[in-house]
Amino acid sequence: MTDDDEAALVRAAQGGDTLAMNDLLDVLAPYVARICAPIAFASGPDAAQETLIAVFRSLRSLRDPRALRGWVRSIAVREAVRAAERDARAVPMDITDRPAAHDGELSADVRDQLARMAPAQRAVLVLRELEGLSEEQTARLLRVAPGTVKSRLHRARDTFRKAWTA
Amino acid sequence: MTDRLEPDPVQRLRVMAAGIPGAHVTERVVPAPFDVVWGVMADLEGEFGSFQPDMKSVRVTHRRDDRLEVLAHGHLGFRARFDVVLRPGWCWMQSRFLLIGMAAVPAGDRTRVALTGGTRVPGRAAIVPIRVRHETERAMLRLAQRVAER
Repeated sequence: MTDDDEAALVRAAQGGDTLAMNDLLDVLAPYVARICAPIAFASGPDAAQETLIAVFRSLRSLRDPRALRGWVRSIAVREAVRAAERDARAVPMDITDRPAAHDGELSADVRDQLARMAPAQRAVLVLRELEGLSEEQTARLLRVAPGTVKSRLHRARDTFRKAWTA
Repeated sequence: MTDRLEPDPVQRLRVMAAGIPGAHVTERVVPAPFDVVWGVMADLEGEFGSFQPDMKSVRVTHRRDDRLEVLAHGHLGFRARFDVVLRPGWCWMQSRFLLIGMAAVPAGDRTRVALTGGTRVPGRAAIVPIRVRHETERAMLRLAQRVAER
């Protein structure tokens, strides 16, 4: 699906076509899951569901249909970090709660290292490495200083390096 | 960790309903296997009229993959052309004046079912919020009865 197709789908959904909403859900569900799973782990599906509900509830407020992915991404990251932090307060992260092997994005080694990081650090990694955002874009989305993104990314990469050279 | 990363059909229905002001979701576990329950729900030309209130008969006029066009007749004489998405566990129907959503997922040897729908605000993703809960609960009750008769 091209960006134009996706924008047309958003416009149709905003105009009241619920079949376009159905098709938009087909497009967004895997995208949201891909963002939420590596940040929120066991609560990834819950975070994804909360994200999709928030997106569909506010879809009419999205002025520029071409901004869809960035808008959805910011909601997904916020929900995923919130869910992961809630989990971390409730019980310490269990390494077995990491994303399943069939998630198609992450190898077992990467998942193990991600499980040892704080949710906000995982969010930086997902945005920089999976989503390809710049440090400035990542900082804006997470509402932190660019220097914070840089230091979190440095620590995350350092964690991987130490794990694999040990 | 659950194996499921994307929403199941019942969760999809709740997402759709979130984007449709006035929509109400009725959810219930029906004590029969998924194949039996979905066999009734997805049989648009046969069983659909037996549990959906005010729906007398449905005829599929066009089908391509999971997209259908159907012509529905109501007990009060109305006719409506619906555009439909029909997949295992998922059915979404839209006409100019009606919206109907049905979802089902296996729950052990039983089936979790969710229904939504009602009179559409013409041309909009919104439902007139009159008797919506009553109608979906009535449809759920009739569906459970129809499944039990099988």
